[in-house]
Amino acid sequence: MNFVQVLNGIALGSLFMILSSGLAMIYGLRGVGNFAHGALYMAGAYIAYSVSTYISFWAALIAAPLALAVIGVVIELVFFRPLQKRDHIQVALITFGLAMVIERTIVLIWGADPLRVAPPDAFGGTISVLGASFPTYRLVLIGAALLIALGLVIWLRWTRVGLEIRAASHDGTTAVILGVNVDRVSLIVVCVGAALAGLAGALAGPYTSVYPSMGSAILISVLIVVVIGGIGSIAGAMIAGMGLGIVQTLGTVYVPDVAALVPYVAIVAVLLWRPMGLAGKRV
Amino acid sequence: MSRSSRSCYGARWASPGSGSEVSDTDLRPISLDALAGAAAPRLNRRTALIAGAGAALVLGAGLLMPVVVRGASAFGLIFDAVMFAFLTMSIAFLVRHLGIVSLGHTAFFGGSAYTVAIATTVGGMGMIPAAALGLLVGVVLAVLMGAIVVRASGMTFMMLTLALGQAVYQVVVLQIARPWTGASDGTSLSYIAGDSFFGVPPDQVVNPVGFWPVVWIVFVLSIVALWFVGRMKFGRVLQGIRENEERMRFSGYDTVRPRFLAFVVSGTVASIGGVLFALNASYVSPELLSFFRSGDALIATLLGGTGLLVGPVVGALIYMILLSTLNSTGNLQLYLGAALVIVLAFLPTGVTGAIVTGVKRLWRRIRRKGPM
Repeated sequence: MNFVQVLNGIALGSLFMILSSGLAMIYGLRGVGNFAHGALYMAGAYIAYSVSTYISFWAALIAAPLALAVIGVVIELVFFRPLQKRDHIQVALITFGLAMVIERTIVLIWGADPLRVAPPDAFGGTISVLGASFPTYRLVLIGAALLIALGLVIWLRWTRVGLEIRAASHDGTTAVILGVNVDRVSLIVVCVGAALAGLAGALAGPYTSVYPSMGSAILISVLIVVVIGGIGSIAGAMIAGMGLGIVQTLGTVYVPDVAALVPYVAIVAVLLWRPMGLAGKRV
Repeated sequence: MSRSSRSCYGARWASPGSGSEVSDTDLRPISLDALAGAAAPRLNRRTALIAGAGAALVLGAGLLMPVVVRGASAFGLIFDAVMFAFLTMSIAFLVRHLGIVSLGHTAFFGGSAYTVAIATTVGGMGMIPAAALGLLVGVVLAVLMGAIVVRASGMTFMMLTLALGQAVYQVVVLQIARPWTGASDGTSLSYIAGDSFFGVPPDQVVNPVGFWPVVWIVFVLSIVALWFVGRMKFGRVLQGIRENEERMRFSGYDTVRPRFLAFVVSGTVASIGGVLFALNASYVSPELLSFFRSGDALIATLLGGTGLLVGPVVGALIYMILLSTLNSTGNLQLYLGAALVIVLAFLPTGVTGAIVTGVKRLWRRIRRKGPM
């Protein structure tokens, strides 16, 4: 029973992990906390809903990240790049405005009622995990998210672009001096970050259903994850994301009455223990 | 980390044309006198007298508002704007003096409003004890949140205040809190017959016109208090921290405690607004604490501009006008989000800042072409 709950937590943690690593990467490159990240996730979920209704779930898994990558490019070219000399707080507030616009636009297109997304037929049932039955789709979600996370780690750790992303996150000025083209790297990062948010949204559809406040709800969690992990730290965000997912899910089992407060308790506890977050200044 | 942490304090966009001489890289010991000439002139007897006379004039003129503004809807609009202005003013105070943007002030406004409601229903308290308790809880919330966020830099500060502000929302909508807060339904206040709030009976407290004198007096006093705090030596220390925190620290100033105190002062003003709001609205809902509410408060603040004391008040008024004209379509959020993007991209000093810049430019041109 407990193992199943831990698996549930890992499923939620996987979503947090993908979203918060995207947020942390964008923060590292542009110094901007992207408040539109939740809205991008929501957009991905709604686009995936339509595509999987009319075509198929598998097409949705491709269409949603692609559409969001395009939105990411637009955000980078229209806002982040021209405004990079401005105060970062201003740019972050602009993303807050964008979030409001995107969320309302989605409600105008798809309506305010929650929508159900059916998982593909092959993964519709349940599967036996150590004697307990568990929805197959959640295992798929966990597998997909872990694959994405692994790919992200390999990309960041062992490629030239990944090296440049880590360099720029660690010290932007020095990275520029050493010849890192921050504009180019930032375009890639915002594009990938937005696409991952879209993919997370598409994967989340059959898991959480699709509803108008899903963006702002997950944004709060992701912000908490990023602060717990140590702002700007991609590894910290991943670890904290998985940790918070598990802790929050176990919270709903053991302290159901106050489970909604678990993330807030977690963030206060971590900040009292390590004011710079788990990873401190490491990327 | 290092790249963004410094720029957070150099947030000069808040004040239009504040020609401060302190640069980001200059680490010589700072002199508060050097800052005094910039945005916050020293407080002397003359400025205090002028300001006092001005405040008295505004106070007197404002009390006549219900007589001057006849239409109930027009007056209701002004009343709502003043209520909302408590929130925008408190947010703007932190932007103006510290260059930090709080997305969590709804917690103080909404938290104190909820406390008043619960005190009157569950506690069976009269209006004045309930108001006192509401204010106390608002201040305690500000102290708690301030203690957590005070060391955070600009970007972390925004993320943390947004997240922690939502914690209060989550507490309120908990199912186990339903007997007190009504969970997602909200809860109504109950008034004791014959009770009075500084001479205003309950049936007049819920009536904007009847409650107006109390609201207006408290409002003007709050503005004066914020003005005074900004002009004190404390205000100049805050400005020094905003311009270059590192240099202030090297110069021997404690930079954590002033930031904390400023946060609590600001939270207190928001709480006062929450208390008055609850008494008048006689109903509180989780909406007061929601994600979009904090967005709206921020948008109203920045729309008005934070460089001038009156900026956030103008912002609140513009917001209420937009609310009354646009909300019928339900797309207010869309327009407000777009407005935030446009204002920040093209008009970073807000409407009042743009007016000030425009008037200054015009004045210079007139002087140059004039017969002198």
